[in-house]
Amino acid sequence: MKEKMERIVVIMSPKEITRAKTSASASDSGKGGAFVAGKLEKLGQDMLAQIEADSSPTFTTALRSKGNIVYDNGVGFIRLGDKVEERTFINVGQARKFMQTVAIASKCKKFLKEDAHTSIRGLYYQLKFSLGDTLDEELFSEQSESNPLVEDLEVALNVKREDLNLNTDRKGVVAGPMVLKDRFGGDETEIDCTKQGRSGWMIPSDVDNGMEFKSIDADYVLVVEKDAMWQRLNEDKFWRKENCILITPKGQASRGCRRLIRKLASRKLPVIVFTDCDAWGWYIYWAIKTGSMNLAYLGNDIATPEARFVGVTMRDIKDYDFLSQLTINAKEVDIKRAEEMLSYEWISCHKDWVEELKTVLKTKKKIEQDALQGPRLSFVGDYLREKIEKKKFLA
Amino acid sequence: MAQTSTEKIFTEFREHSVAEFFKKNQQMLGFSGKTRSLTTIVHEYVTNSLDACEEGGILPEIDIEIAEIDRDRYKVIAEDNGPGIPEKHIGKALGQMLAGTKFHRYAQQRGQQGIGASGCTMYSQITTGKPVKVISRYDTRRITCEVSIDLKSNSPLVLNTVKDEGEFGHGLTVEGEFADVKYDKSSFGVYEYVRRTALANPHLQITLHDPEGQAHAFPRSSDAIPPKPMIVQPHPMGISTNDLIDFAHRERECRRVSSFLQERFARFSAAKADEVKALCPDVDFDKKPSELQWVEAEAIIKAIHSEGVKWIAPATDSVKPIGKGQIEKSLTNILAPQFVVVSERAPKIYKGGIPFMVEAALAYGGGAGKKAAGDLMSSEVIRYANRAPLLFDNSGCAITEAVKAIDWKRYKLKNFDEEPLSVFVNISSVYVPYTSAGKQAISNDEEIVQEIKNAIMEAARDLQAYLSGIRRDHDRKERRKAILRYVSQLSHDLPDLAGKGKAGEIEKKLITLIETKYSSQIESEEGEEEAKKENGNGKNGKDEEDEGEE
Repeated sequence: MKEKMERIVVIMSPKEITRAKTSASASDSGKGGAFVAGKLEKLGQDMLAQIEADSSPTFTTALRSKGNIVYDNGVGFIRLGDKVEERTFINVGQARKFMQTVAIASKCKKFLKEDAHTSIRGLYYQLKFSLGDTLDEELFSEQSESNPLVEDLEVALNVKREDLNLNTDRKGVVAGPMVLKDRFGGDETEIDCTKQGRSGWMIPSDVDNGMEFKSIDADYVLVVEKDAMWQRLNEDKFWRKENCILITPKGQASRGCRRLIRKLASRKLPVIVFTDCDAWGWYIYWAIKTGSMNLAYLGNDIATPEARFVGVTMRDIKDYDFLSQLTINAKEVDIKRAEEMLSYEWISCHKDWVEELKTVLKTKKKIEQDALQGPRLSFVGDYLREKIEKKKFLA
Repeated sequence: MAQTSTEKIFTEFREHSVAEFFKKNQQMLGFSGKTRSLTTIVHEYVTNSLDACEEGGILPEIDIEIAEIDRDRYKVIAEDNGPGIPEKHIGKALGQMLAGTKFHRYAQQRGQQGIGASGCTMYSQITTGKPVKVISRYDTRRITCEVSIDLKSNSPLVLNTVKDEGEFGHGLTVEGEFADVKYDKSSFGVYEYVRRTALANPHLQITLHDPEGQAHAFPRSSDAIPPKPMIVQPHPMGISTNDLIDFAHRERECRRVSSFLQERFARFSAAKADEVKALCPDVDFDKKPSELQWVEAEAIIKAIHSEGVKWIAPATDSVKPIGKGQIEKSLTNILAPQFVVVSERAPKIYKGGIPFMVEAALAYGGGAGKKAAGDLMSSEVIRYANRAPLLFDNSGCAITEAVKAIDWKRYKLKNFDEEPLSVFVNISSVYVPYTSAGKQAISNDEEIVQEIKNAIMEAARDLQAYLSGIRRDHDRKERRKAILRYVSQLSHDLPDLAGKGKAGEIEKKLITLIETKYSSQIESEEGEEEAKKENGNGKNGKDEEDEGEE
């Protein structure tokens, strides 16, 4: 994670690119298997038409390299720029990759038709076979070959891999007043997130296809970095008392978790994030808020610029005396990250954050969220209640 | 094999002190001569890093820094991105001779003795009196400590350990100070060692920071990590009396010599055991393997080799070559030659029992060959055993002999010595027959020399074709072929994807397009490939978001 933020180069796109414009061109995510299968089919038919017209089959995809990743001030998240790249078959350098991409597309269409899911590793194994007895070559011999091509397809078709029935690992847990309908494997199950006991509902890889909100009766969404803290708040029934949806990404948020947060935010629920006051915690928050370089191509689907940061903050030390005893020394990585963050234009424009980071640099201290259990275990609930009520967010 | 291997000598000395023994026999392990000693140190660290990365399925990135401290005294820092060494194993890995896990394994690996990094620790200790500094990063830990060896007991001394918790990634850094060593740019020096290592390991990214402060970077040309070495059973024809004794005395499960022979060696069937028994009436095949005597082992080996006993040849799948495509990539990447050709040969067997494989490549023009006087270039022979460069003992090596035996004029090379030519030869085998314990030359076994010769000549025929000006045709054909090979699979998948169309028709149409309308374009595509590669796929590799998808 250390390098991740470092690589984010500040490229401010023109302000006139508004959310409306990007969202119009973005995401055909979540429109269902038949729709996506249709898109795949169209991709193949276009190629056939090109061959029919005596041309090399070709498709276009957005460039995903560093040079085409921008932080878009207008929409408030990191996304791909406008550079596109053409992939064509009749070219010595591209023939293999092109053939491989078509093989992946064809396989994904089959998954969609069969309504079966697998991982990108599973996909790789489905396509790891010899190209024929006369050729000493496999269709894929390394998963590192197929992974970027899956991304090519996602970008070219304007969908997420989850829409292609490719799962990622599940991570993240939810509790709170929210009921979902999950159509899966031929069954339809109702999931009531108030009735998930001590373990909560685990966020699946795909929260779009076959997943539907039945009812949401919450006032806001609270995202807490650590699982242990989530368990504390769950035991205290914080979500019931506060009428909120309580989520922990368990560290860095997975694609599915970020997507769920985005979807809840789109239903006008405020999103409040609670992490450690250190490099890792900040990164988790900013990745939820602005997205990240690696997933820039999904920016529109997974970034939640509306997210607010409730703590832990350096200012808390002033407001809660006991905290001054519970700080720990910041590490080199925390200091370095704080310095970097100050140099990002999209962070340095938030004056609270500038002050916060400067305090970290001055005092060389950090605080973990667990410290709020100092006075008594359930104190953390009081802390959150007070700060959220008084809207004490880092602006 | 009648050779006195290091292993054998060490076995005998183990009761005393392997460390003491090393101290008195350092030249055997490559610590002779100032330049060579430094190369050996770098070799040991690089080899360990490569093996560790392969074990861990990691694409290796290695940084070597050499700084001059005083006359004949240098500091060496070797850093890798491998899995690191858990705290409790650091002492053993770097401060105890023969403690490596590789020592008793019968598999194809670069370092086969497990003496490497500890040997360097010892060398530092006996030339400068200093321990080596080690930083091991793994999980969420960073262990910093100093390691030396107790010479009497061959046990590690680990001092000044500092532990940090946090996100440090993974990898190992070893820093040592050595005297009686020298950095130079000769063909025995560290630079040449690093360059050659990069050539044979296209998946490796290595940077050398030399004492003058210059960085020499050898970028990676392939993302394919070589497969892990296979542990195989030795074939009876490939073992010596000494090996047999060694295996027998380590045997813990089989209770009888006869079952031990059948269990532990390839192709040793019950019927074969009976044949061998019949030939050694004086040997008790029911005794415990651990009680096998030298004379008895000698008799068994003699019986195994007697003419009446016919053995099925060993399986050759234990041999893991670098691969034609891989060699081509790395030679192209590092030497940027005008022409490169790699032989493609099946594994062979020598002494009736040991599989091996020769890969030979020729790179011509561009950066191939070595600089001679002025602007002139001269040819070079780069030798490898299991991807590890052999820099020393050039004249006694089977590879050198094979190169010399070839009539290069037949292949349009007028004066072999003065051509801009790199001859690359790698021998892969579970058991490479080195001439001596220093492991720098391959023994002149006739079967091996002949196979090397054949491999080089196979490559030389293509070089000849190139030099005869057939190049352009060949090239065009190759480029077209590079696309044509994918037509069939694409034509098969497209109808499935589009939900219409017929594979046969698509295939025909594509082939026509490639051979007519696009043929001139394909020929002029040169250079374009590189550009595509650069901006093709932004980034590979794992990151937080994708965690666990593998």
